[in-house]
Amino acid sequence: MDRSTLYTRARRRALLEKLLKAVVVIVVAVIPAIPIWLMYAGLVAQAFSSRVTLGIIPVGFTIRNWRFLWSEITMGLTKYPSIWPMLLNSLYLALGTALIVSLIAGLAGYALSRMEFRGRTPMMQFILALHAFPSVVLLIALFVLLNKLGLYGKGFITLTGVMIIEAALQIPMGAWIMKGFFDSIPWDVEWAALVDGCSRFTAWRKVILPLVLPGFAAVALFAFLAGWAEFILVFTFISNQRWYPLSVYIYNLIGEFKYVDWGMLAAASLFYAIPTIVFFALSQKLLLRIYVGGLKGVA
Amino acid sequence: MRLPTPRGRVLPWLFLAPLLAFVALFWITPVGLTVYLSLTNITFKNLVYFIRGDFSKISLTLQNLANVFLGKDPFILGVTEITVLYVCSVLAINAFYSLILSIAIAFFVKNEALSTFLRITWLLPRITPSVVYGLMWLWLMTPGTGPLYQLFSLLGIHPLSWLLCRPYSQLLMIMINGYVGVSFGMIIYTAAIKSIPKDLINAARVDGASDFYIARKIIFPLLKWPMLFVISWQTLSLIASYEYILIVWGGGAPGTESVGVAWSAGVMVFPLYAWFQAFALGNYAYGAAISLPIVIMGIGLLMFYFKVFGFQRLMQPTRIEV
Amino acid sequence: MVRVKLDHVSKYFGRVRAVDDIYLEVNHGEFVTLLGPSGCGKTTTLLMIAGIYKPTKGRIYFDDVDVTDLPPKDRNVGMVFQSYALYPHMTVYENIAFPLRIKKLPKNEIDRKVREVAKLLKIDHLLDRRPAQLSGGQQQRVALARALVKEPDVLLLDEPLSNLDALLRVYMRAELKRLQKELKITTIYVTHDQVEALSMSDRVVVMNEGKIQQVGTPEEIYAKPANVFVASFIGTPPMNIIRCLYDEKTNALQCPGFVYSLPDQWREVLSARTSDEILLGIRPEDVRIVEPSEGIEPHARAEVLVVEPLGRDIVITAALSEESTMKIVARPGTRISIGERLGLRFELEKVHLFDGRTGRAIV
Repeated sequence: MDRSTLYTRARRRALLEKLLKAVVVIVVAVIPAIPIWLMYAGLVAQAFSSRVTLGIIPVGFTIRNWRFLWSEITMGLTKYPSIWPMLLNSLYLALGTALIVSLIAGLAGYALSRMEFRGRTPMMQFILALHAFPSVVLLIALFVLLNKLGLYGKGFITLTGVMIIEAALQIPMGAWIMKGFFDSIPWDVEWAALVDGCSRFTAWRKVILPLVLPGFAAVALFAFLAGWAEFILVFTFISNQRWYPLSVYIYNLIGEFKYVDWGMLAAASLFYAIPTIVFFALSQKLLLRIYVGGLKGVA
Repeated sequence: MRLPTPRGRVLPWLFLAPLLAFVALFWITPVGLTVYLSLTNITFKNLVYFIRGDFSKISLTLQNLANVFLGKDPFILGVTEITVLYVCSVLAINAFYSLILSIAIAFFVKNEALSTFLRITWLLPRITPSVVYGLMWLWLMTPGTGPLYQLFSLLGIHPLSWLLCRPYSQLLMIMINGYVGVSFGMIIYTAAIKSIPKDLINAARVDGASDFYIARKIIFPLLKWPMLFVISWQTLSLIASYEYILIVWGGGAPGTESVGVAWSAGVMVFPLYAWFQAFALGNYAYGAAISLPIVIMGIGLLMFYFKVFGFQRLMQPTRIEV
Repeated sequence: MVRVKLDHVSKYFGRVRAVDDIYLEVNHGEFVTLLGPSGCGKTTTLLMIAGIYKPTKGRIYFDDVDVTDLPPKDRNVGMVFQSYALYPHMTVYENIAFPLRIKKLPKNEIDRKVREVAKLLKIDHLLDRRPAQLSGGQQQRVALARALVKEPDVLLLDEPLSNLDALLRVYMRAELKRLQKELKITTIYVTHDQVEALSMSDRVVVMNEGKIQQVGTPEEIYAKPANVFVASFIGTPPMNIIRCLYDEKTNALQCPGFVYSLPDQWREVLSARTSDEILLGIRPEDVRIVEPSEGIEPHARAEVLVVEPLGRDIVITAALSEESTMKIVARPGTRISIGERLGLRFELEKVHLFDGRTGRAIV
């Protein structure tokens, strides 16, 4: 068999292989992804549709589903609280968590990365272990603890208590991420600053700080999103409707409105989910880098 | 090499103090408290006495532990079975399916834009707030009108309700958690695949290997450690996970009845059972007792991982190792 | 044994023209080197021959058969990468056997071939080791073995010696050349080291900025550079390039610090010039230092600035004028002192003239 026949055969084989790869990708990555696309398309469509859609195209475009933003929702005789205080609760929870975590994780991360002390390695191991431990299993004990500290059933104070607990649960991951960021700053940069005449503190402020700002931003973002999305802590610990964050507010809406007003439910959910999606879209590369360094999630 | 700090010995601990305080209060104490509670008879009835420090109304008992560890509670066995089913199935998805997914998206797909698009798609379930995610599934599976429900109907699968009818409810439970969990493996594996030197792949191509052969003989063997890492981490995570199940099957105002659906649907996993006992029924002590095996397993597994894998390797989950 | 032809091949990455319109023919069993600075496109060209990159324009032929659309695995080429690219999780044996296993050859035949090539490259005692346990030189030979074991039609090597220490590099240069002559495989070699190129190749292809500057035997490249780039790239120390102005009336070059008269025969060739700026090129080793005692009139005088005794030669940096310096290679033992004014002769046979604007060689 001469060369050119061999070559034609080989080209055909190459094409076949390309086809096979495409099939694999479609079967493994595209077809199973259909529910995901349906989900989101559905959510968006439903939020703007006046009737329950049988698919992902809105039927009768309307913004009436969004009326919870400006008017009162009633269901039978029950009046639902307006969404705005709920939004503030969520913001409070999320921002508070972000603040506490960045601060404490920042300090801890710096110590772990740049300071010499006995017990450094065991400390790192401990924090990594905490990071991996499924903290949600301690919910019952945390509930009792909350009670013992006198923070249960006290409205705003309870919400603050939840925020502190949420921050506590996020701190190990935050510390780990911050350590990673501090690690990535070469020593030479700091030394150069010192040689150039800075005091230790000025060097820290002018040279190190700008370099770790992305780290702080990342940790704050993660903590914020964790606080924003937090459901189970709030659901279990907060009983006063006034202090529900959006997660529990919507959860309750599901129960009541599931068969009655999908549209409004979808709109409210979209309203709630938007910050998460936006943040993620904006910082995708950064987040991905962090995710590899330290992960937390439910399963 | 670290610069010696001026106030040498004390400063690091000052920096670490806030973290340690938080950890002591909200991690260590609850573990101890869980153990303590499981040995008591505290329910919603006498919790208030415990809070006030009045121990006269509290008694210690081994009954809770007996119920859990000796199976005196008739439901424990069923719950354990479901948990095993849940953990094994979702683990298979999170650790193995995600590997195939990663190879498909990060290696087979050559177009950078398409690869990114698919990666983002598969990450969406993880980054969505849990309540919204649960809601979307409820919508997808609405009998009759839900798009996914209809799609399955076309394939001949149309139970009365995916939520309530076994084994569809269990399948749904696995799907819901699987979609979220898959992205964990995907992140790790994709990073590992991208760290394989391009020349290695090119050399294999010149040596005559097809992409399939390369996936099998080169990529897969190099991903052994990342896979072990994913399995370890996910196992730990899954034995305690129940949030999504709670959201989907417990849809409704918090209270007793809601988690009852989880019961009959056969999706009551161990940690959810603990939650149910404690917060739906008010049996805090018993709830703590049910959490205890999970806590113990968690700590045990962690110690095991540290010993077997070593700290250094755990710090670099995406390092391809030979 | 195969002829390789690149027919007006180009490779663009977006707007970057990594390889720009290359035409090259490599004969049976020839050892051709692609030589040039980093970024000149030589590795990209090699990867196109291997099939890892697809040309943006042009076609590639093996023995007159168009292989442009053929994937690497069907081209029967063997390639040694700069990083060696050994499979870290396999033993040396398995690394070498890899291409044969893919072809699904019978086990005993694989074993025979692997051992044969391992013996040839003197690594047969390393077969059970893993790449991480080998030295750089050993890894390189394993990479070579893996490339050779499938008896390829074309052997491609991408700077295989650059990661080796100097002594080993010299040894391997001779080894590779000997091996190639023995196996008679058409070989294409990529390097930025001109010593490697000149010492090993049958022909050298000098490249810069994606274009071929000159193709020729080592002697041709050295003695008859086609343009200024080739002239100054080849040779250590590089050829002296002196900027001069051509005076048509006197048929002489106005050079910094001296005037160089040109022979009448050159007048005609010079008429094709595009600019009056002419570059005079002469290799440091071709410059003759004349002692006053010899009574020969020097072409130019230069003041010695730096003297570098290198053992085998002495390299002198001397100033022809305020702005222009040149290098001269003198025999060891020559007495030179700094500040001394040297008399220099540039013999006509050794002088190269280049067009000041295009850089092309005129003479």
